[in-house]
Amino acid sequence: MRYIFKFPDIGEGITEGRILEWLARVGQEVKEGDPLVKMETDKVVADIPSPKKGRIIRLFGQVGEIANVDEALVELDIEGTEEQALAAEAAAVAATGKTTKVEEKGFGVVGEIEDAGEGAFLPATGEGLEEDRKISVRAGKKALATPVARAMARDLGLDINDVNGSGPGGRVMKNDITRFFEENRQSPAPPPVKDPFAAAAAAGIDDNGAGERVTYEDLTQVRKSIAARMVQAKQNAPHLTAMEKVEVSRLVELRRRYREAFEAANDGAARLTYLPFVIKAVCAALAEHPILNGRLEMDKNRFARQNFINIGVAVDSPDGLIVPVIKDADKKPIRALALEIVQLAEKARNRKLTLDEIRGGTFSITNYGSIAGTYGTPIINYPEVAILGIGRIADEPVVAGGEIVPGKVLRISLSADHRIVDGAEAARFLKRVMDLLADPTGLLLV
Amino acid sequence: MAVMNMVQAINTGLREELARDPQIVLFGEDVGVEGGVFRVTENLQKEFGPKRVFDSPLAESGIVGAAVGMAMNGLRPVVEIQFSGFVYPAMNQIISHVARYRNRSRGVYHMPIVIRMPYGGGVRALEHHSESFESVFAHFPGLKVVIPATPYDAKGLLTSAIRDDDPVIFMEPKKVYRAIKQEVPEKPYEIPLGNARVLTVGDQLTVVAYGAVLREVQRAIKLAKAERPDLAVELIDLRSIFPIDRETVAESVRKTGRLLVVTEGPQTCGVGAELIALVNEEAFLHLEAPPRRLAGFDTVPPLPKGEHHYFHSPERIHHEMLKSLEF
Amino acid sequence: METKSLSTPSSSSSRYGWMRLEPSEGQILQFLDNEGKVIRQADFPVLAPESVVEAYRFMLLSRVADEKALSWQRQGRLYTFPQNKGQEAAAVGSAYALNKDDWLIPAYRELGAWLKQGVSLTNFYLYWGGNEKGSVFPKGVRVLPPSVPIASQLLHAAGIGFAIQYQGGQEVVIGYVGDGGTSQGDFHEALNFAGVWKAPVIFFCNNNQYAISVPRARQTSSRTIAQKALAYDIPGIQVDGNDFFAVYSATQQAVDRARAGDGPSFIEAITYRLGAHTTADDPSRYRTIEEEQEWAQRDPIRRLRGYLEGKGLWDENKESAAALDAERRCDEAFAEYEAVTDYPVDDVFKYQFADMPPELVQQKVAYEKFLKWKEGR
Repeated sequence: MRYIFKFPDIGEGITEGRILEWLARVGQEVKEGDPLVKMETDKVVADIPSPKKGRIIRLFGQVGEIANVDEALVELDIEGTEEQALAAEAAAVAATGKTTKVEEKGFGVVGEIEDAGEGAFLPATGEGLEEDRKISVRAGKKALATPVARAMARDLGLDINDVNGSGPGGRVMKNDITRFFEENRQSPAPPPVKDPFAAAAAAGIDDNGAGERVTYEDLTQVRKSIAARMVQAKQNAPHLTAMEKVEVSRLVELRRRYREAFEAANDGAARLTYLPFVIKAVCAALAEHPILNGRLEMDKNRFARQNFINIGVAVDSPDGLIVPVIKDADKKPIRALALEIVQLAEKARNRKLTLDEIRGGTFSITNYGSIAGTYGTPIINYPEVAILGIGRIADEPVVAGGEIVPGKVLRISLSADHRIVDGAEAARFLKRVMDLLADPTGLLLV
Repeated sequence: MAVMNMVQAINTGLREELARDPQIVLFGEDVGVEGGVFRVTENLQKEFGPKRVFDSPLAESGIVGAAVGMAMNGLRPVVEIQFSGFVYPAMNQIISHVARYRNRSRGVYHMPIVIRMPYGGGVRALEHHSESFESVFAHFPGLKVVIPATPYDAKGLLTSAIRDDDPVIFMEPKKVYRAIKQEVPEKPYEIPLGNARVLTVGDQLTVVAYGAVLREVQRAIKLAKAERPDLAVELIDLRSIFPIDRETVAESVRKTGRLLVVTEGPQTCGVGAELIALVNEEAFLHLEAPPRRLAGFDTVPPLPKGEHHYFHSPERIHHEMLKSLEF
Repeated sequence: METKSLSTPSSSSSRYGWMRLEPSEGQILQFLDNEGKVIRQADFPVLAPESVVEAYRFMLLSRVADEKALSWQRQGRLYTFPQNKGQEAAAVGSAYALNKDDWLIPAYRELGAWLKQGVSLTNFYLYWGGNEKGSVFPKGVRVLPPSVPIASQLLHAAGIGFAIQYQGGQEVVIGYVGDGGTSQGDFHEALNFAGVWKAPVIFFCNNNQYAISVPRARQTSSRTIAQKALAYDIPGIQVDGNDFFAVYSATQQAVDRARAGDGPSFIEAITYRLGAHTTADDPSRYRTIEEEQEWAQRDPIRRLRGYLEGKGLWDENKESAAALDAERRCDEAFAEYEAVTDYPVDDVFKYQFADMPPELVQQKVAYEKFLKWKEGR
């Protein structure tokens, strides 16, 4: 195989050398390391050894001529094919992180020092002379706040730089942030309706003469936030709630049959509850009834159809109710849903949910049945337009084939924003969910 | 103006100072006849004679200890330790005497000594030739510690160091001894010690670095900008490890709210930790992300075949920057 | 009172023939001339002819390994390394006086001694090829890795000697140092400690005339290096370091002394560094070709070869065969070294401590996370 050996960079900024003497002849068989040529550079005279074993086919340049670095110096006929050579080269580069390089003589006793060569150079900075082009730094106009305050603002989705600070030195304090949040959260909703009993409420319970029988707890940030959201939902969306019973013994049997294997296969990381199945049924129904998956923008006089399904799952956290969101729930298989539910619940319990994980929902599910409850009147997770509440699965008598038999009965309650969701649509959606829960094999054909 | 690399810039600076002040002497191992193993002191003995520029016997402790004596009696020694990894026998003289004599004698004696040494790694060298422990020197009261990253700065800082009446540990990043060329004035100029320099202005992230790794940081910023074209990083060359230019770093972080310190030396008790403390004290209320450091591992630098794990690549620095930017 | 010249150490004994040689009077132990002819019979060491031939082979192997290393270094396949050329007799001759379980504490220019005591060529190439694996010598080989901080290893030699005494052993320790190293504080401390302890240490100075660029004359005002030992009442001798028999003889007697419990000795081997300090050094900046050529006349390999040929123990054919064999062994060892292509991340961390402390665990994890991120891009 033909191999061109180029004049290597032997450092110290040389770009060329003068050929003093050829130490090998055309036709000569050389071993690796045999000297090929004596080269003079402006610092040293060096013998350049052959990097490979082979036969010399051609010498480039005459004695006394200038040879340029990285140009052909000697052509050798060596063993091996092109691919082998490339592979070997690649392996060598991978191992050493560099291609073969001859170290410059007398350059620094130890190590390999990179040389800039004839490349571009930096301009003088002028420091210490009159013409110092010093860059001066000026701090920008930004909010002063502790990291805690910043985190709080972020969780509430605020830009802290918009908040006026009332603390020392103009520092943004936590109550500045809350106040700002309250003042600014309500677009496009109308202002809250005046409470005719406000005067009485404002009187407070102290006037009852309760005295020491009352203890006070400050409302937490999260509680205040939840309260505000509930009011917002109820005030803006007239709720309809449709409730239904579903006979789910097939679902119960399905879960019973696969539960153990499922949990073993996932190393105990996920429990197989009914919730993933409910989510799947809901996703299927939403695909057919997209009105319940959208967003109503009254101020813009339009309904936003959302072409993705992000299911919020209400979770109990130490601070109260929080609704982490499973993104693209319709595209995730049961196993993934089960895992994600566990993870999100864990994060909620440990207060580790990020803002991203609680935003972007299109429909929510609240499962109070795991504690207690049959029917409920869930409040919509505004600005979504619907929410499904899941009650308990109870052993109850049901009618099947004209006979009364024991059955597994699940009660579900759907609240929807009646401004955009009509009763019939709600009922049709609910029916679809019911059918899929009653006969889970239907999920296979979705 | 001439275009020089750092070796040439330091050589020129030494020459100018030797010419200016006859009390300056220059010695160390192989610095006279050979002109230094990196050629930094090339031709100086030829020009100024063996009385002023000479080879010492092979003993670092001897070199520094003798310099202490010279300084006591009116000379201004500029000594070379051949590699920072060889300075350890001299630590007793440096810490016990060089750093303390002014304090001990209440100013009757002082130590206008410059101890120069190539430091840092990434040059595929033997054991002990890749050390980076500037923070150890900074930790001993009484020493100034300076690290230039470019030829221009090297000459200006060296001139200031030599003219300083207090001892300066002048650490030269050998990896970039010849890798950077710059226009350097061929006449004396001073860059005052204790000053950092802002290289690029930005408002999203402050990155502080010095020495050879500064170049890698610049490459990392390029990589990051390729993915985020509107990235605005404020890059600061610290230059002075003691005293630190607190105001420049603090001012910058007050603007950006984020800090990343990139250093070669080991993490524990390193310069990165010091800057993070500084930012905590001076810019706490402006922080938007935890101030962080990318330092070397708390390990001995690996030999050449393992070097790539230890010395920061632009990709590693880029990855670290993202952690601050995406907090 | 017996009149003794100050230069005779009080611990000397007429058992040891070479102590009759006085370094400060310029008396140097030498057996061969430049052609390998025997010029001194008194105290000529007793060695079986096969042993001398084997020693020669070691010297030749060292030379070949060294030259090939230089060539590979010039091809970028090895990193900077210090050349051993010209010092083969000093290395091999001294090592020949050692038993398998004696300790060898090198500086970094004793390849022949390494090889004789059982360090493999692959170790040699791995080490100078920049992999710590090269310092892991075969089991039972009591040789330490090269010592980059000059002369610091001599204190280790003293300590090992102390431990031998403490444990009631019969082994000895040989610690090597260069002429430059004798200026370091550690050198003096080591001799002093070993002297006070009467430790079984042989201090062997390879005076190759240069410490990088600094010639011997400007390294120390001592007229000979051997006489530095006098300060510690340790017997010191100068030998022709390029004369295999001189080196062997002096070292053997020093070893006998140490094993007999008579304490440390100091040998100054006068030799010459025919190559550069390292592959990145340019000797033409501080010495002349004439000087190099003059010393090349005293090439240790040439001299021993002359001796062997004079005794009918060697010839041209044997030389070619031995050289070829040496080349082959070097090529094999080098291939073994080049076959080691990976350097696991774990190796950076796990040898700092017996148990990895939390800092290192955290740093390793962070680095591995980065590697995954990089892979995924």
